[in-house]
Amino acid sequence: MNFGQFLLRRLFLMIIVLFGVACIVFFIANVIPADPVGAILGGNAPPEAVDRLKAKLGYDQPLIIRFGNFITGAVRGDFGVSLKTSNPVMEDIKNYFPATMELALVAITISIILGITLGILSAVHRNKAIDQFSRIFSILGVSMPVFWIGLLLLLVFYFKLGWLPGSGRLGFFTYPPPRVTGMYLIDSIIAGQWDTFKEALLHILLPAFVLGYNATASIARITRASMLDVLRQDFIRTAKSKGLRKNVVIYRHALRNSLIPTVTIIGLVFGSLLEGAVLTETVFSWPGLGRYITTGMLFLDYPAVMGGTLYIALIYSIANLIVDILYALLDPRMRM
Amino acid sequence: MKRSFMLIFLMVLIVAATGFAATPKDTLVIGANTGIFITMDPAVAYEVFPNKIVAALYAQLVKLEAIDGVIVPVPDIAESWEISEDGLTYTFNIRKGVKFSNGDPLTAEDVFFSLKRPVVLESVSAWFLVDIFGINKDNVDEKIKMIDDYTVSITLNAPYAENITLGILSNMFTGIVNKDVVLDHEVDGDLGGAWLTDHSAGAGPYVLVQWERNNVILLEANPNYYGEQPPLKRIMVRDIPEASNQRLLLERGDIDVAWDLTPQLLEEAKRNPDIVEVKVPGHSNEYLAMNATWGPLANPKVREAVRFSINYEEIVEDIMLNNALLVQGFINKGYFGYVEENPFYQDIEKAKALLAEAGYPDGFEVELLTSNTDTRKAEAEKIQADLALAGIKANIVIMQSSQMYAKYRAQGHQMIIAGWGNDYPDPDNLAMAHASYRANQLAWRNAWYDDYAATLCEWGQIEPNPDKREQIYKDLTEYWFHNGPFAMLYQTVEFWGIRKEVKNFEEAAFGYGMLFDFAKVSK
Repeated sequence: MNFGQFLLRRLFLMIIVLFGVACIVFFIANVIPADPVGAILGGNAPPEAVDRLKAKLGYDQPLIIRFGNFITGAVRGDFGVSLKTSNPVMEDIKNYFPATMELALVAITISIILGITLGILSAVHRNKAIDQFSRIFSILGVSMPVFWIGLLLLLVFYFKLGWLPGSGRLGFFTYPPPRVTGMYLIDSIIAGQWDTFKEALLHILLPAFVLGYNATASIARITRASMLDVLRQDFIRTAKSKGLRKNVVIYRHALRNSLIPTVTIIGLVFGSLLEGAVLTETVFSWPGLGRYITTGMLFLDYPAVMGGTLYIALIYSIANLIVDILYALLDPRMRM
Repeated sequence: MKRSFMLIFLMVLIVAATGFAATPKDTLVIGANTGIFITMDPAVAYEVFPNKIVAALYAQLVKLEAIDGVIVPVPDIAESWEISEDGLTYTFNIRKGVKFSNGDPLTAEDVFFSLKRPVVLESVSAWFLVDIFGINKDNVDEKIKMIDDYTVSITLNAPYAENITLGILSNMFTGIVNKDVVLDHEVDGDLGGAWLTDHSAGAGPYVLVQWERNNVILLEANPNYYGEQPPLKRIMVRDIPEASNQRLLLERGDIDVAWDLTPQLLEEAKRNPDIVEVKVPGHSNEYLAMNATWGPLANPKVREAVRFSINYEEIVEDIMLNNALLVQGFINKGYFGYVEENPFYQDIEKAKALLAEAGYPDGFEVELLTSNTDTRKAEAEKIQADLALAGIKANIVIMQSSQMYAKYRAQGHQMIIAGWGNDYPDPDNLAMAHASYRANQLAWRNAWYDDYAATLCEWGQIEPNPDKREQIYKDLTEYWFHNGPFAMLYQTVEFWGIRKEVKNFEEAAFGYGMLFDFAKVSK
């Protein structure tokens, strides 16, 4: 199979996955016994008002027609109008998603840098102090809830030490940079507002670290295992015995070959970052898509919940597609 | 890789040197969970906190104010009003020279439009107009009339006491919007509803400058406000969904007010000398109710014995951590008609004697129903222990709230612990619920078919003379104490943690739930 065919096949699979997700979110939202029209109008509303709103929102149609409408709308990027904000859901997503994306991107960057570093160090210095530290750090990372670690770090770095800010994307009295991407770090660079950039960076460090902690731990463990595996291989022994410097052996020969499982795990954890954003955004008062979906759920705002979920699924699929492509480039055997 | 790590570390050090500033002197920064904010349209907004923000943006005919600790309706843009002989028609004279925030004059046309708007939109928050005053979409043009440029009249279906009528009219759905501005933004006959969701067009002390959902709400003083300019130029509400995070921000001085602290967090924050707690009476109560047709509870002496078995102080102190007021009548503290007397206390000997008189010297067994919150469970256990002292064996049954209410509404309970929230600051609503079985609310659920009490409730509703009215509610409370099916446990309180620099917060907050006057707060 050549690369073009591989890509086509992956795209086709992605569409099937997204269709599956759309089916699941639609049917969960529409079969659970809760009544969004009732939630909007309240228990005292006259029956005619209920019927009128149902007709306006299309809830009087049979389920299958509504599903058809939902899918045809979703394909065009139209998820309907949010019951809570009265904006088109897509407009809300465009508004809130950059904050989540920015957080996830910084989180994955921190995770990759920290995770791979820890992984290599603990493989090279196996069973030494750094390996033990990395092990404890990783166990804590996968076992502590985001919620708890977030509050703990806020308590230390914000409350006790005062090194980092305590909430939000910028200081309460700082204007956001002119909107280009919606990501403050990038927008402030584009606008040349270095003070805003610094502020945005300080605000994102803690939530991004917390969000990425779990991912950091996974990346560190996988890198360590695969690195140890590679270090045992014959070609490493050959490289060592022909007198190459240790660093060259580790970084040029071993690391490159041990990165494939790491790349896989990065693709997978990126999805968990988007999921984890729901909790992290609540703890750190981060106005992103996660919080948009949670507040939507409490209000039975189904268009918002369905649209938001499907959008995250789309981003997740794209991230996985990119990983698969990288994979195929790193190791041609994968294209099979 | 190591270099990037160092870079991050360096950045951290840079901040360590910069530190963070306190909030500006002319701005009140509130940390709150704003997830419940849906709209800023006065005709539609209904939730408690959002409503108080909306109240800062719009003037009304009458508004609520706490005077000498009692919440009463006072003139806002209605300078005065006349009530017709039959008590059905209220004619309001509108203050001249009032301007909207954009400088347009406010006239009867705006008032007329604003009062009709929630009725035409069939807004849920205007249920008072429909269910109590009998004003609906079909008859609104006969019931609400514009007499001239500065006079508007409203006709009711019954001669309610003035305090009831004005109390209902002080709800937020009567906020006066600028008709021209709103109609300029009308889309598909929504009477400007979509636009008013996140804009304001009112004549209140503040203007809505920005609302970014899940992030920030910013109000600025209205330069054209007809009254005195508020001391604070800006009110900023930051969305901080986590109560524990609110506490940290408050103590660090990044916010001035933490809106949603738990009692535990407030206790902890209070240890900081910069933090002050503010507590005001709330508008809900918690009670033990007895089904007056069930077995031993049908005997008034048994119900009195139950009331003398409970240790009310311990419930307030140990379970509510003092975030509750010992109020045993059904009229809340802060209301017209509130009765200060608390006749019940734990007296086991007296309770036993009453049980013996009633023919139950060895007590009896009863089912005690409640819902599954931690507070309710703790209350049920406490009451179970107290009743056991008098020889009554209570078996606790815990249900989901919705199930519990279904059983309660069908009179299927024996004893129940539940609560009641009030809708307008007048004893009428509370008396009807707790004492008149004809109102089909709590008294009916507890099968207390007492015609004397029900009749007093109806007199109270239409008695025009406030002194006589007060006496009716005093008599009713006295009768209800010893004959009714309730043991009132406490009235809820509302509480906040604030920075010590914030002044007059308690005055502004008194009556919260029904009112909050941001224009009173200063720093």
